Amino acid sequence: MNAIDGTDRHVRDSDNSPPPSLLTVILDTNPHAWALLSDTLPLSKAVANLLVFINAHLSFNHANQVAVIASHIQRAQWLYPTPHPPRSSSSPEENGTSTPTPPSATKYHRFAIIERELQDNLSRVISQTTAADLTSSTTTQIAGALSIALSHISRATQLSSPNDSSGISLDSTGPTLSNPTDTPTDPADGTPRARRSPLTSRILIVSVSGDLAAQYIPVMNSIFAAQRQRVPLDVLKLAGDTVFLQQAADATGGVYIAPSSPSARAGLLQYLMMGFLPDARARAALVMPGGGEVDFRAACFCHRRVVDVGFVCSVCLSIFCEPLEEGECLTCGTRLSLGAAVAAKPVVVPRPKKKKKRKVGDITGTSTPMSAGTPGP
Amino acid sequence: MDGEYIQDVSDDDGVEVASRSGNNGAAGGAYGARARGRTRAKERWESGIQADSIAFGEGPDGNLAESLEAEEQARKRARLRQDNKPVQRGIIRHVVLILDLSEAMLEKDMRPNRYIVTINHAQAYVREFFEQNPISQMCVMAMHDGLCIRLSDLSGNPADHIAAIQGIRYPKSARQAAREPKGSPSLQNALEMARAALYHAPSHSTREVIIVLGALLSNDPGDIHKTIKSCVNDRLRVAIIGMGARLRICQEICAKTNAGDDSVYGVCQDEKNLRELLMATTTPPVIRQTAPALPSSEPTPNAASLLMMGFPSRVTESTPSLCACHNNLTRGGYMCSRCQVKVCSLPRACPSCGMTLILSTHLARSYHHLFPLQSWVEVSWKRARELGSTECQACMTHFPPVPEPQEPDAMQEGTDKSTGTDTANGAPKPVKQRPRAEGASESSRYECRSCHCHFCIDCDVYCHTVLHNCPGCLSNPNTAPTDAETNPEVVAEMAAGLENGVNGGEPMDME
Ligand SMILES: [Zn+2]
Ligand SMILES: [Zn+2]
Ligand SMILES: [Zn+2]
Ligand SMILES: [Zn+2]
Ligand SMILES: [Zn+2]
Ligand SMILES: [Zn+2]
Repeated sequence: MNAIDGTDRHVRDSDNSPPPSLLTVILDTNPHAWALLSDTLPLSKAVANLLVFINAHLSFNHANQVAVIASHIQRAQWLYPTPHPPRSSSSPEENGTSTPTPPSATKYHRFAIIERELQDNLSRVISQTTAADLTSSTTTQIAGALSIALSHISRATQLSSPNDSSGISLDSTGPTLSNPTDTPTDPADGTPRARRSPLTSRILIVSVSGDLAAQYIPVMNSIFAAQRQRVPLDVLKLAGDTVFLQQAADATGGVYIAPSSPSARAGLLQYLMMGFLPDARARAALVMPGGGEVDFRAACFCHRRVVDVGFVCSVCLSIFCEPLEEGECLTCGTRLSLGAAVAAKPVVVPRPKKKKKRKVGDITGTSTPMSAGTPGP
Repeated sequence: MDGEYIQDVSDDDGVEVASRSGNNGAAGGAYGARARGRTRAKERWESGIQADSIAFGEGPDGNLAESLEAEEQARKRARLRQDNKPVQRGIIRHVVLILDLSEAMLEKDMRPNRYIVTINHAQAYVREFFEQNPISQMCVMAMHDGLCIRLSDLSGNPADHIAAIQGIRYPKSARQAAREPKGSPSLQNALEMARAALYHAPSHSTREVIIVLGALLSNDPGDIHKTIKSCVNDRLRVAIIGMGARLRICQEICAKTNAGDDSVYGVCQDEKNLRELLMATTTPPVIRQTAPALPSSEPTPNAASLLMMGFPSRVTESTPSLCACHNNLTRGGYMCSRCQVKVCSLPRACPSCGMTLILSTHLARSYHHLFPLQSWVEVSWKRARELGSTECQACMTHFPPVPEPQEPDAMQEGTDKSTGTDTANGAPKPVKQRPRAEGASESSRYECRSCHCHFCIDCDVYCHTVLHNCPGCLSNPNTAPTDAETNPEVVAEMAAGLENGVNGGEPMDME
């Protein structure tokens, strides 16, 4: 079956074929947020649109891969491929949940598998959600989902390029840095740079909930990891307000689209197809949406005031809006000297009183004006 | 020649052992120790044979593949086994990178020669350095024909330094000649130059010198010990990466400028090793309490201070205008918060008023140094059976299946027979067991101690070196909401600050 419909065919030999691409979709399944959207865009409709999008991605190239992760309240869960939960019996069984019924003959085998597994796993995630879960939290585990997605991408990238034995030789030795004139060999291991069709990966976050405050550091770590792996984080923001995700898309070169009105949300599929279907390589040739003005101003930790000039603790990097009176960092308690901060301000230099003193006939006239003119700390 | 090298190495043995035991998990400590351990092997091919013979010795029943795999896992994990207690680190760094361009760099023990290899790695290093230390400054110098020449000025822009390093071989202007390796290096000149360059570094930042030294000599104009002393007075911290053999003087420089800890002196034996040693220095150094040997001219040598920084917003313009940093015509950029000058990239100091311009995400990038991810532990077969894990929690790679309790399979795993017998008779045994190759897990699983999820070796390495998150903890209902190892108050504070900040202080429209 697989051989006939081409599922197992790997187009790798010819160099001019487009490189395989891995699409990881992180679907925010926060029930609170979907409840608010239920009259304009129910989850089932969104998933149906998402499946069309995934199938389109798979149709581009036989070697294309897809992974879907649910970012649920309190946990992140694989939707596709199906995970094997830990169990005490050690007999390996393959695909235990999803083999019973053969797929319909009219549907492309691979599409059918993905559709069934995704729906099975999603309904399991939702049915396992208890009322206690719902009351205890209203946010989504986007950091966990991102961490899983990035680990998976890292592993998949490693598998696709067996040359790379070290595993962590990311872009620091990667294609962007090496310039063709002076690196005939790979700096990492000295082997000739023969990278055949590396896997290009990207992550699409379909986000509906705001308020990711509790996960600030993990989300930031994930953003930087994505940046280092050159994985763009695309964000489709259907509801809620998260600045993190806009900054994530901006920092990793991904696309950020926020269809806010209900009528715009109805065109979900069009947003997906037009905005997010091209992979990283195709995007180089296209004008992608977004990239406008981004507000990068920070907020002080002391009053939550928006600042464009702040004072930063050199130990813990907390931001404050004004010099601290006690001179002690409010976060880490380190005693801070204000020297550098204040000296950085331009100081109006007092006019040297050379002439006057000369007239008086002071002999030490050469040294005093110098010290008077130096901006003191 | 070879005979001399061996002699040199064995002379240092006593010191080496002492310093290793005193290694307190400083930045690059693990690397340094490892490099020194491997210095005894003269050549790469020779060490390869040794590794092979160990593998043969370990598999008496002829199970070679598994012991080789374990070696590989141990090698990957070696870099992770550091003490990862949160320590205060010098996040804001001033670093002088000094490359050796003396005759010794023409040696061909790395291909094509040390010179080209070093230049290639230095470029990768600069990029990695600024990834890890976005608010730090660097300056590149070279030791060439007895002199120390400055290639780039102290700045926070990696492109400047990479261009300068490329300029060694391919000069930008035609009247300059490419600098081929020539003459001998002078450590004294190099240290004096670095000292001058770092003289104005503010007190809250570190002052570091990283020297890549290919030669086995230093041709100095005066007394280098005086220079070392003044370096210590100026709080310089020198790290040296040597090639070929250890030098007494380098060890002395490193020990004296790092409060007696000479683990920052490493000798690379091959290209990979050179890269590892260089990359080890991208981790910010730990801040030590005021060194007792330091005659304190300043009241507080590592004084923390409050820094004034600007957080500019990005603008887009319909007509191009000149940027202040390169005088290029660009559409859009970032406006300095204080003087409204336009710069094209962040972070950088405002060319007009000198204020540091930065994104708040740049600050967040250093948080993993302050809140490191705890190490994961090796998993015994018994523990693996207990949890019944079949695949990596993060990437879904299948683990090798757990052998049946009575099967002799468990026994033949490596030299540690106690592991096998314990598993066989089911004696209670904690998770932490040390099977054969140090650091490798017998079941190829690695467990996070807070979420009890199992991960594969690749995810272990990836999560600890790149991601700095535990995928298990973050996706687990019990451990997820507050990251157990980080300080939840700080996290919440910061997060709330950022969230509210960009919302403009408005209450969030949740539900
Ligand atoms: Zn404030
Ligand atoms: Zn602080
Ligand atoms: Zn510019
Ligand atoms: Zn300015
Ligand atoms: Zn894994
Ligand atoms: Zn964990």
